Amino acid sequence: MNPVRLFGIETEYGIAREDSETADPVVESMELVRAYLDGHFTRRWDYRGEHPHEDQRGFRVKELAQDKEEDLFAEQDAHRPFSFHEMKSDLVLPNGARFYNDHTHPEYSTPECRTLKDIVAHDRAGERILWVAAQRRNEVLGGRVVQLYKNNTDFHGHSYGCHDNYLVSRSINFESLVRGLLPFLVSRQLIAGAGKVGRETQEKGFTPGGFQISQRADFMETELSVDTMHNRPILNTRDEPHATREHYRRLHLILGDANMCEYATALKVGTTRVVLDMIAEGFVPSFDLASPVEAIQDLSLDPDLKVLVKRKQGGNILGLDIQRDYVQQARKVLSDIDEETEWILQEWEQVLHQLEHDPLQLVGKIDWVTKRWLLESFVQDEGIGWDDPWLASLDLEYHNIDPERGLFCGLEAEGRTTSISQENDIHEAMKHGPLDTRGGLRGLCVQRFGEDISSIQWEGVHFNGEKGKLHFDLLDHLDPTSVAHCRAMLMDAKTPQDMIESMTVPK
Amino acid sequence: MKQTNQFTQLVGSLDRKERPVDPISKPSGPGEESGPKRPETDSPSRDNLMKRMRKVDPKQAEKYRQRTGE
Repeated sequence: MNPVRLFGIETEYGIAREDSETADPVVESMELVRAYLDGHFTRRWDYRGEHPHEDQRGFRVKELAQDKEEDLFAEQDAHRPFSFHEMKSDLVLPNGARFYNDHTHPEYSTPECRTLKDIVAHDRAGERILWVAAQRRNEVLGGRVVQLYKNNTDFHGHSYGCHDNYLVSRSINFESLVRGLLPFLVSRQLIAGAGKVGRETQEKGFTPGGFQISQRADFMETELSVDTMHNRPILNTRDEPHATREHYRRLHLILGDANMCEYATALKVGTTRVVLDMIAEGFVPSFDLASPVEAIQDLSLDPDLKVLVKRKQGGNILGLDIQRDYVQQARKVLSDIDEETEWILQEWEQVLHQLEHDPLQLVGKIDWVTKRWLLESFVQDEGIGWDDPWLASLDLEYHNIDPERGLFCGLEAEGRTTSISQENDIHEAMKHGPLDTRGGLRGLCVQRFGEDISSIQWEGVHFNGEKGKLHFDLLDHLDPTSVAHCRAMLMDAKTPQDMIESMTVPK
Repeated sequence: MKQTNQFTQLVGSLDRKERPVDPISKPSGPGEESGPKRPETDSPSRDNLMKRMRKVDPKQAEKYRQRTGE
């Protein structure tokens, strides 16, 4: 089993100004983030921990496919009257999350979580925090003109991501991870897809008509790659562990859709975590897919779940059967099935059964099923075709986080969705990080000594101490015992200096 | 703190009905029904949703443009 269970979700939101066609998206995204906190941005993100050119396959690429575009953006951004740090407006919040302007998308990255209950609450907390920011920004603008979308496409061929991340032991070689994960990831959309009308490519834009399971499948171009904005891979190979490199990897998955259904978020992260546990126990799938990229798109384009994809070893297989094979193997392979894992396996089995026999049972639980049901009802009521452009607008509006406009929000208000978290879990997650992860420690540093922080990132916090610079290293605080120890020290300390000294001097 | 009060006020105004599923204590087997019931085709809540959908600008997606992200 993986030595440490730790995961998190990064979500880039779509942002629109409905009162202006000429609004600058960089400025809009920046202003939205800045609207969340008052005052100056002294809590600067430390970019030294970022290594997007390092590849898990053991090399470093000279350049990414997006480097030229990034350079062009940087050139354009340089003409704006803001510094790099002002434009990024990179915040670490009191709950340990990161909230910033990722070029033109407000991005919310949850703090590291250890349980499904926490990751769902923190993902929802992100939606609420963005909604608070949007309300404040709209107060300044004098109307409800800024709208935010938790989705992955603009229906013009531009996609933006929702990445799920998992800490994995470096002792599992990368080839085993790839082999063990690929068939699972290709078919994971059946339980975690957010649904989309039409088809898209970055080159040709949007073609209306039909409904598919995944928002991102159209944008998957290769099996493995370190790139994230072009030539997008099913399995991203970026080697940026944000933990001790000799001991850990970070699996950075960019193929997933942003989920509105809490239940889908829990199953997406839960099943992926289970498969990683299986691989750590030596699991190797009994088959490989002949063409994973073709398969991910073929499966997405068939919401009736009848399409067969080719196996490398010969024969064909249904997406549902790929998923069934994993859940059946999990029961054989996993030596220690705790309560959360049992919940994942039972719900996983049940969802696969319902997808085959009675998918409407999954309305309010699985996004693509929910969206398809809503759109089908609308198509029937209005007597329009599936190629009507109105459907793309409704698809977009499913993901609007405005409670008075969003279609998912409407379903939720009608009590037709399944919640994993309670309201108070979400409120708590907006204010505090998980008690048992370093994300909670990071948040506590912001709460207690925010004014003293000179820079901060996933791996540590730098303070301006009375006697000079201080560094709180979070790299190795991954297990709950170590986190609890640090938490006690942090709560008792009166200054950052106190805290660092109490952690280094044995009592 | 002033900021916390504003924060709680804004969040408290959100409408959300509770239909909790405890992710670790109440597992149910395949074939057993949990979560929301099969959607009813003529329920009042369906009408509310259809009203909300009809208010959506048919050209909204056409006007919506984003930069490529990650």
